Amino acid sequence: MVVSVSVFRWHCKARVTARWEAIALVAMQVSSFPSSNETAVPIYREREIGGSDIHRWIHFLAHAMMRSAAAAAAAFINSPPPFLFIVLISSHLLSLALAASPSSEEGYMITGRLKLGGATSKEFGLPSKPTNAKVILNGGQRITFARADGYFSFHNVPAGTHLIEVVALGYFFSPVRVDISARNPGTIQAALTENRRVLYELVLEPLKEEQYYEVRNYKLFCTVSTNSEEHLCILFILLQTREPFSIMSLVKSPMGLMMGFMILMVFIMPKMMENIDPEEMRRAQEEMRAQGVPSLSNLLSRGN
Amino acid sequence: MAIRAYLRFTLAILLLSTLSTALYEDQVGLADWHQKYIGKVNHAVFHTQKTGRKRVIVSTEENVIASLDLRTGDIFWRHVLGKTDHIDQVDIALGKYVITLSSEGSVLRAWNLPDGQMIWESILDVSAPSKSLLYVPASMSAGKDNLILVSGGSSIYALSSIDGQIVWRKELPINSIEIQQISQSHESDTIYAVGFVGSSEFVVYHISYRTGEVLQQSKSSFGSGFCGETSLVFDDTIVALDGQRSSLVAIGFKNGIINLHQTYISDLIPEFSGNVKLLPSRFNGMLAIDIASSIILLRVKGINELEVAEKINRPSAITASLPISKEQQAFAIMEHSKSGIHFKVKFDNDLTNEVLRETLHMDSQRGNVEKIFINSYIRTDRTHGFRVLVVMEDHSLSLVQQGEIVWSREDGLASIVSSAMFELPVEKEGVSVAEVEHNLFEWLKGHFLKLKGTLMLASPDEMAAIQAIRLKSSEKNKMTRDHNGFRKLIIVVTRAGKVLALHTGDGRVVWSVLLPALRRSGKCGNPSALSLYQWQVPHHHAMDENPSVLVVGACGQNSDLPGVLSIIDSYTGKVLNSSMLEHSVRHIIPLPLTDSTEQRLHLIIDGYLHAHLYPRTSDSVKIFLQEMPNIYWYMVEEGKNIIRGYSLESRELNTYDEYVFRTKQLWSIVFPSESEKIIATATRKMNEVVHTQAKVTADDVMYKYISKNILFVATVSPKAAGNIGSAAPEEACLFAYLIDTVSGRILHRVSHQGAQGPVNAVVSENWVVYHYFNLRAHRYEMSVVEIYDQSRADNKDVWKLVLGKHNLTAPVSSYTRPDVMVKSQSYFFTHSVKSISVTSTAKGITSKQLLIGTIGDQVLALDKRFLDPRRSVNPTQSEKEEGIIPLTDSLPIVPQSYITHSLQVEGLRTIVTTPAKLESTALVFCYGVDLFYTRIAPSRTYDSLTEDFSYALLLLTIVALVAAIFVTWALSEKKELREKWR
Repeated sequence: MVVSVSVFRWHCKARVTARWEAIALVAMQVSSFPSSNETAVPIYREREIGGSDIHRWIHFLAHAMMRSAAAAAAAFINSPPPFLFIVLISSHLLSLALAASPSSEEGYMITGRLKLGGATSKEFGLPSKPTNAKVILNGGQRITFARADGYFSFHNVPAGTHLIEVVALGYFFSPVRVDISARNPGTIQAALTENRRVLYELVLEPLKEEQYYEVRNYKLFCTVSTNSEEHLCILFILLQTREPFSIMSLVKSPMGLMMGFMILMVFIMPKMMENIDPEEMRRAQEEMRAQGVPSLSNLLSRGN
Repeated sequence: MAIRAYLRFTLAILLLSTLSTALYEDQVGLADWHQKYIGKVNHAVFHTQKTGRKRVIVSTEENVIASLDLRTGDIFWRHVLGKTDHIDQVDIALGKYVITLSSEGSVLRAWNLPDGQMIWESILDVSAPSKSLLYVPASMSAGKDNLILVSGGSSIYALSSIDGQIVWRKELPINSIEIQQISQSHESDTIYAVGFVGSSEFVVYHISYRTGEVLQQSKSSFGSGFCGETSLVFDDTIVALDGQRSSLVAIGFKNGIINLHQTYISDLIPEFSGNVKLLPSRFNGMLAIDIASSIILLRVKGINELEVAEKINRPSAITASLPISKEQQAFAIMEHSKSGIHFKVKFDNDLTNEVLRETLHMDSQRGNVEKIFINSYIRTDRTHGFRVLVVMEDHSLSLVQQGEIVWSREDGLASIVSSAMFELPVEKEGVSVAEVEHNLFEWLKGHFLKLKGTLMLASPDEMAAIQAIRLKSSEKNKMTRDHNGFRKLIIVVTRAGKVLALHTGDGRVVWSVLLPALRRSGKCGNPSALSLYQWQVPHHHAMDENPSVLVVGACGQNSDLPGVLSIIDSYTGKVLNSSMLEHSVRHIIPLPLTDSTEQRLHLIIDGYLHAHLYPRTSDSVKIFLQEMPNIYWYMVEEGKNIIRGYSLESRELNTYDEYVFRTKQLWSIVFPSESEKIIATATRKMNEVVHTQAKVTADDVMYKYISKNILFVATVSPKAAGNIGSAAPEEACLFAYLIDTVSGRILHRVSHQGAQGPVNAVVSENWVVYHYFNLRAHRYEMSVVEIYDQSRADNKDVWKLVLGKHNLTAPVSSYTRPDVMVKSQSYFFTHSVKSISVTSTAKGITSKQLLIGTIGDQVLALDKRFLDPRRSVNPTQSEKEEGIIPLTDSLPIVPQSYITHSLQVEGLRTIVTTPAKLESTALVFCYGVDLFYTRIAPSRTYDSLTEDFSYALLLLTIVALVAAIFVTWALSEKKELREKWR
């Protein structure tokens, strides 16, 4: 089975709703035979997204393929933001015993592991490689970096209570309180300071992912089509709009309110005028004329 | 009452519209810009193999390790190491790992060359801070040479370059040895470790490369001692400088036999006098020494024979040698002359011939060449071509190839010392800034180009030119003042003494000037810029003059060294005045006074506590003398734990100098050094505007205690002065003081048991917010303290106001007994903080946001309402209306409120806010290693239309209304007519 993936990004201004902006279109072509027909949807202007993103999409599509393509498609249709359920299981299931090894006479070594939630396709642009992850001891006293497998260590840390912070763009990590006991050398206790959860092993995971931009309203369209008997084309279109266009928002805007008031005046005022006694009306009009307040109609008629 | 209602109404409007002011992703770059820098380059290693991208690995003074694209100078990746983690050496091992040795030889790390991922990290136990050496064997014969040698003090480590494991460790038997050089013999697996014991003994160890076994050891001593500088000339010969720095000692140690020979430098160079330094460069059979006036290359023909090979006049720089072939090594020299910079490449075996000679023209504002790094490439005709990486005096980095500057980076901007925002010129005829001076021809050319572009006749180059013109004339990048006050010049002074003006539109450098006063010279050995002030801001009087900037510097760290002053035109970057002061600079006080030409008065306090008035005109003295009784200043002596307040006395000191005034100590606060230690101070910004003194609450009016003279001081118990983890909660205590700096009165004091620093604080209006570490909860905390003036509290009686029995018009003085009420509250905050600032707007009406620079180098905008001491668990209905948020124990971190969105301002140090003319908006400039600028609206842009405002809808409505008018008019006409007929 061959999966060929084409990723497009294209912007369009649809005719009716001016603010539609499609950010991504993923075409997945599933065929049982190797196929050279890679251009799944040739009608759109193609623009490649950066290499890592394609990688990520391939990753997620591969996972999607593990189920059946049809089930995936169905799942996509049912849940609007498609990225929510794409959770990749971290391949490393190594556990790390929580212990400090006395690295020298000066202090102890704290070793831990960072676990970023694998590659997620939550956003196209944000890289979540652990290259960006920094581990900071005691508010900047020492800084180290996580290795490719997520391991990090601090050497020669004296006994006492310390604070470890993790900085990784796109993730929110709780600082970790680490107690190195002076009496029983080598025992370490660790707890997240945010929710006081005790860690039995120093595996640091983000509490949540951070979204630095305003979330747009996503709408997903999915079409399944078959080019020929072997090829199954699944087309995902992720549409987003800054604000959902609705009549209510138009009405609620100052312009809408003004218009509404005008319409009200135009149609209701004459009705109200009709209810007034004609005699009184005439009197009032005469009074107004006497005061010299020109009415709009008079003004215009005089102009003629 | 009406006013109160009005206030409450406006407040409600403001509050309703606050909270999320987040960006959409496609709005990035509309109002903000971000520039990445690395700092002054110390070491550079080229990686230019045939396949793959060509890159150069650099390490800098800002503790940055970075991989740069050799074609463009762009950053592939970079890491900012910890503050104390200075990078000593950099090399490439196995062709794929970047090896850095940092923290005085105790941390060795390997980074993946393509993406910067850390591969391994090894901690080496280096006994004492000493000279450390990294030796990565160059020959790449597989399987054999994968050991990295590191020496520090008396130990040598060999580490596997694949995983960083220590293969062997040799502790040399003599404890006080300091290893100077490590070299490897060509024939065998033996390495030589050469070191000094004490100052006069010389030791050579022959160590097996594989096992670390000491094969041979030899010792010798030299009577007049060594100063510790050595240079390796052959694998078995070094040249050392003797203790007096007057002679060179050549030492050969072949086969364990040590030969010494002393040569006096004055014998080699007859005109030599003064100091000499050895330049750290590995030449084959040569060494470079640096005497004050020139660099001298010496050839070592044998132990007994040294001769002068070449003399290079200063200012110049020389590279290390680069092996070209087995017997040839090339090196490059850069020499300044009147016609430009001469760049020469020579082979070491033939110094008379120049392989390459080029003349470069470099911007004179870059100063002299400081460091160069050479690299070679094979030209198409199979000859060697050379490129050099040049570090200039202003810390900029450029790549020179074939006589041209391929790219250059303004890396001095990674070390900004001080910054200020300046107005651009008003848009009118004849006024424009440096580079946008248009003449008629250029104007015509531009229009012609544009015409070509619209007719689709332009070539790609011309299209680029049109784009550049568009960018220049586009609204945000114009060089004139705008209505909203968004376009400004950010003027910064860097550690290198360069002043640069950046445009707020896109962050480009408008002008730059390397201040002559801040360049190293005979009179001023180690000058450094201190700060930057607005010198002249013409408003009414001197309208024809351009505004100018004052840069104050000092000739070194010592407080009795003289200071320097420079005044620069802020539009053109021309140095108007530059002078060396006769006194030192200890403290600079910009006064809120200007003279008749709108030059701001400044007081400079020198080391003897005399006040010097600038500008030195009789006019300014006259103005100053009137205000002198009202001028008070204070000084915080952090080391001594004393705060002293001073006033000025009339001049009796120097009858001949009317600009010098004597100071008088008025008060002092001495913190007992056994229990308290000053760790942080903060004051209000001088130019902050407070809109109203009254704070209207649901059923009350409170009067803010607003004084410009509030000083916040944080002290901790001495045991807790160190890092987190060094003190137990019982022995730590943090005290926060609010001090009036005129009278020295302590307005408020609060202690936090079990808390310690670091403390970051910000003072604004009548409140102070400070961030510290709570050891009991083991979390960071932020506290807010608000002070209210109780003496005015009874003014809220309406009858008193009517009868005129209020004291609202009574003058506010620091000498009146303050009757203050203080409210405070503390909250948890997740992150460590590097810097805190507060937004400031033109009239101070807009609600405030705290800008918190977190440890992740992001800047979080946190509404001040979250730090309101009146927050309670269950706010009453009226409090809710007022916008009081229910109390939570910790402050929320909403990712969308990071003003740096998905960017990091690496090495963040300072956040500066300046008001725009538009009341809702503040301009924010953050700097560290990176620069970031944006503008923020803490309560949204309530005073202007948003950019996605639909003008079409507005037009449509107007058209519809006009149409409606005519329709109704026609209808009413008809109706009137009908009624008349009736």
